Amino acid sequence: MHLDAFELHRPTSVDATVRLAGELAGRFDFLAGGTDLLPNYKMHLNLKPHLIALEDVGELHGHAGDRIGAMCRLADLEADAAFLDRYPPLADAVREVATPLVRASGTVGGNLLVETRCFFFNQSYFWRASLGFCLKADGDQCHVVPQKERCYATFSGDLAPALMALDAEVEIAGPSGRRRHPVGALYDTAGDGIQRVTLRPGELVVAVHLPPGAAHQRGRYKKLRVRPSYDFPELGVAVAGVWDDGRVSELRLAVGGVDPHPRRFDDLTDALVDHAPSEERVRALGEEVARRVRPVHNTFLQADYRRRMVAVYVRRALAEAREPVAA
Amino acid sequence: MATSESRPYRLLGGRIPYVEGPLKVTGRAEYTDDIQRPGMLVGRVLRSPWPHATIRAIDVADARALPGVSAVLTGEKYPTPFGVLPITHDETAIAVGKVRYIGDIVAAVAARDERTAEEALARIRVDVEPLPDYPDPESGTRPVAVPIHARGLNGTNIQKEVVQHFGDVDAAFAQAAYTARVRGTFAGVTHAFTEPLVTVAEATPDGRLTVWSATQVPHYLHRALSEVLGIPLHRIRVVKPEVGGGFGGKSDPLPHEIVCAALAIETGRPVKILFDREDVFYTNHGRHPTKNDIRIALDANGQILAYDIEATIDGGAWSSFGTVTTYYNGVLSMGPYRVPNFRYKGRRVYTTKPPSGAMRAHGGTNLRYSIEVALDELAETTGIDPFDLRARNALPSDSTTVNQFHIGSTSFLACLAAARERSGWDAKFRRLPYGRGVGLGCGFYISGSNSPIHFTPKMPQSTVHLKVDMDGGIAVHSMQADIGQGSNTLLAAIVAEVLGVDLDRVHVQRVDSDVSPIDLGSYSSRVTFMMGNAARAAAEELRGYLLDAAAELLGTPVGELEVGPERYQRRSDPSSSVTFLEALHKAMERRGALTASGSYQTRPMGGSFKGARAGTAPAYSFAAYVAEVAVDVETGEYRVEKIWAAFDCGRPLNRLAVEGQIEGSIHMGLGQVLGESMNYRGDRLLNPSLLEYKIPMPQQMPEVEILLVGADDPDGPFGAKEAGEGPLIATLPAVGNALYDALGVRFPELPITPDRVLRGIDQRRAKGVAWKGS
Repeated sequence: MHLDAFELHRPTSVDATVRLAGELAGRFDFLAGGTDLLPNYKMHLNLKPHLIALEDVGELHGHAGDRIGAMCRLADLEADAAFLDRYPPLADAVREVATPLVRASGTVGGNLLVETRCFFFNQSYFWRASLGFCLKADGDQCHVVPQKERCYATFSGDLAPALMALDAEVEIAGPSGRRRHPVGALYDTAGDGIQRVTLRPGELVVAVHLPPGAAHQRGRYKKLRVRPSYDFPELGVAVAGVWDDGRVSELRLAVGGVDPHPRRFDDLTDALVDHAPSEERVRALGEEVARRVRPVHNTFLQADYRRRMVAVYVRRALAEAREPVAA
Repeated sequence: MATSESRPYRLLGGRIPYVEGPLKVTGRAEYTDDIQRPGMLVGRVLRSPWPHATIRAIDVADARALPGVSAVLTGEKYPTPFGVLPITHDETAIAVGKVRYIGDIVAAVAARDERTAEEALARIRVDVEPLPDYPDPESGTRPVAVPIHARGLNGTNIQKEVVQHFGDVDAAFAQAAYTARVRGTFAGVTHAFTEPLVTVAEATPDGRLTVWSATQVPHYLHRALSEVLGIPLHRIRVVKPEVGGGFGGKSDPLPHEIVCAALAIETGRPVKILFDREDVFYTNHGRHPTKNDIRIALDANGQILAYDIEATIDGGAWSSFGTVTTYYNGVLSMGPYRVPNFRYKGRRVYTTKPPSGAMRAHGGTNLRYSIEVALDELAETTGIDPFDLRARNALPSDSTTVNQFHIGSTSFLACLAAARERSGWDAKFRRLPYGRGVGLGCGFYISGSNSPIHFTPKMPQSTVHLKVDMDGGIAVHSMQADIGQGSNTLLAAIVAEVLGVDLDRVHVQRVDSDVSPIDLGSYSSRVTFMMGNAARAAAEELRGYLLDAAAELLGTPVGELEVGPERYQRRSDPSSSVTFLEALHKAMERRGALTASGSYQTRPMGGSFKGARAGTAPAYSFAAYVAEVAVDVETGEYRVEKIWAAFDCGRPLNRLAVEGQIEGSIHMGLGQVLGESMNYRGDRLLNPSLLEYKIPMPQQMPEVEILLVGADDPDGPFGAKEAGEGPLIATLPAVGNALYDALGVRFPELPITPDRVLRGIDQRRAKGVAWKGS
């Protein structure tokens, strides 16, 4: 397998990047850490003739205060224990991404925008050709849920659920300037699964902002996978909240790894605010979340098992957030 | 009884770092992909996207026309069938007439670079007529519309059927006090060696062909090249550089090796074929997906009366070692217990999937899992402790099985005793809380095959040549294949041990068929035993010359001399001695450099019935493992916390290597339990990558306590037996039985993924059966 030729662009400012992205609209991908994009390119998955490398855009790098640059390497976050200690679910999520080698290159922005995954998509060109391709790349047929309208590939980033539980925002730069919105709004939940994100032409994620209230909230991110490293999530559950003497005064829950996009369940968690929820209510919450997600059998573990684990992981994440284990 | 704890040898029995270790860890060791030749071309293969189809036409004109393309090959140029077993030559280098699985090789190109080669492949047009596919071995046991191979039995896809019956199994079951039955299902697993398959070939104007390849068995590659290419053996030179793991996956001569050589001949230029991981998955030759059905009968005292075994083995597209596999899936039940009545019906069935073949502990692994789970069930039924049940049935040393295997040395009882004591079994078994458990699994394995694939059965299976010149360095030649298991180190250590010289005098030469005498290579756990005996014989011949010279120098009869460190000395007065170099130089007077040769061949053994030699071996290894597991009963996730591995490899000659083999075997065996599985949808492999093929991570490795309890084997070199494959087998049932102790659930299907664990717990509870109070 080899990389086909592409034209590599290396802008040095956000403005230049936005201009370039506008000029090349539809014909480029952003290159951040490359840990997911380049293997996908070797598999000839939705190749574009241009890559815009974000490496040289200084503003995107680093993290300070409650801001994390989109190009901040996961390993750099991992190395800053004092920072991560303030955001327990994010700390869990960062440390559980892939392997140390991948985290050395992989970035926060790249993980938020990581391509969705499916057994019938993440395969070589030969493999996909032998099957007649799929809806998500080069074909028109879904092989997981046989139909031609909707892609069921699974959102497989770890950071998004954690950041959504922390109520983080993304800062976006584009032709009409900067805007900010919640991390969850990055994902196009109404689309066909192929159009996955709500970024408009010429836009890029510049940074993630954690709200002031997020620091030192209790929380957890719990990841289901076959092996304790390397693997993408088969399920990721993040919770963050505030407990006063057992009473919930603030609570958010986000789930990834089972749907085409990460999701929050505010109606369910809001109902727990101002309560000291019983074990029974927490269990019911987990079961309701499990009822709402839609895993399909496109990853290693069976879909019904992953759904069942949603209830367990939600309950455990809540319990562990409420009663943090002493480090 | 001599135990392996005693140290009568200077080097052997110690911990000897690999002689090539410094080169490997600094990146200086030369592997096949490091071979660069002037003007070398890139070879690539075109694979079939169809599981089963007749090839009507292949149009290669556009590919040939592409600038930079030197050759395009299709199957009819070299149609001679080959295969590792002389009786089942059913492979061709490139498909001839039809393709048999998704990934079968349809054509090959040699071009100036990778990009051009791939562009050329894209320009080849293959016109096919699809045929019915047969992903499922069961359906292939009946006559099918279009058999995958003409050689399938009676219009079926059955490649090999074995029916054996010793004693009277029905009568034994009729009088049994207890019986158990386990129907096992095993997903296919693959070797996943680190170094991908890679070959370099060069045909030179002197009419010779040189092939460098990542192979475990250079000699079989040599023969297959000769047969298919029609070049006499003496005009082909096979070189084996360092090899990054094999585990059986580099033991067949493989199509790409022949294709690479053919492209070199076509182009007159060197050609390299380097496979990527997906190619390696399609080449496969891994452990067969298998279903087995094991029934065991016991008498009232817990003595085994009979085994009744059936197996259906999914062979994939080719035979490979499959005839051996079919026998092994029955006859490797014949130890470590005495089984007076035995019946076996095994079938290996071709399917339109990547070929299965030999993988570490070939033929003995899936069978053993089901047997040991059945014995665990019987221990529970009879109320006999699992250790006691096994001890009661252990084969003694120097005994003969009902199918006429000769069991030479066995320290199986010592394995049981050590594992029981060190694991704290009696305090744990059925006494740990719900969700925690311990389990016992045992095993045995051949230490080399008495039924080698060879020109004639009378030829030696291993030969070692030594040459020493006035510099005092000893060159060792043999075609034994170090694939990372440490056989070069052992070869050097045996020579140094016998001669009394320092290890750094001994230089094991790269395998090169021009100069290396034939050894059959690294398979069937034969190397230590066979090469070791050959090396010892060669070194003893050389030592004879040196002692004669020393005797002459010291004016003393040879019989009064002994070997000291780098010297030969009077037994009665060690201060009266000559150095190794003095003796050497004396011995070289009149004759020049010294040479010596040693060889090894098994004795005749086994019965005279059909298939009697399958599973006969000059010695057998034995194992008793205890695993301790902790299960998250809500998620089905579990952790194997510790394995106590009691193993009888006779005398361990290099403890460092033996321990490495045992730890590596446990890791590989655990993979088959924890999640390794070639997942198919029909005949389509869903996970041909190391991301989705779930080799256990280091964090999943349990603590391993190794207990080497073997006594010297009378026929093994310095008392040694194998330690490369047998250590895998007991891992699987030890974990399966520990999960039973933890949960009260049997898992007859591997791998045991968390979803299966949960389903098992659900099913037990649905039946209203409680276990340890839960």
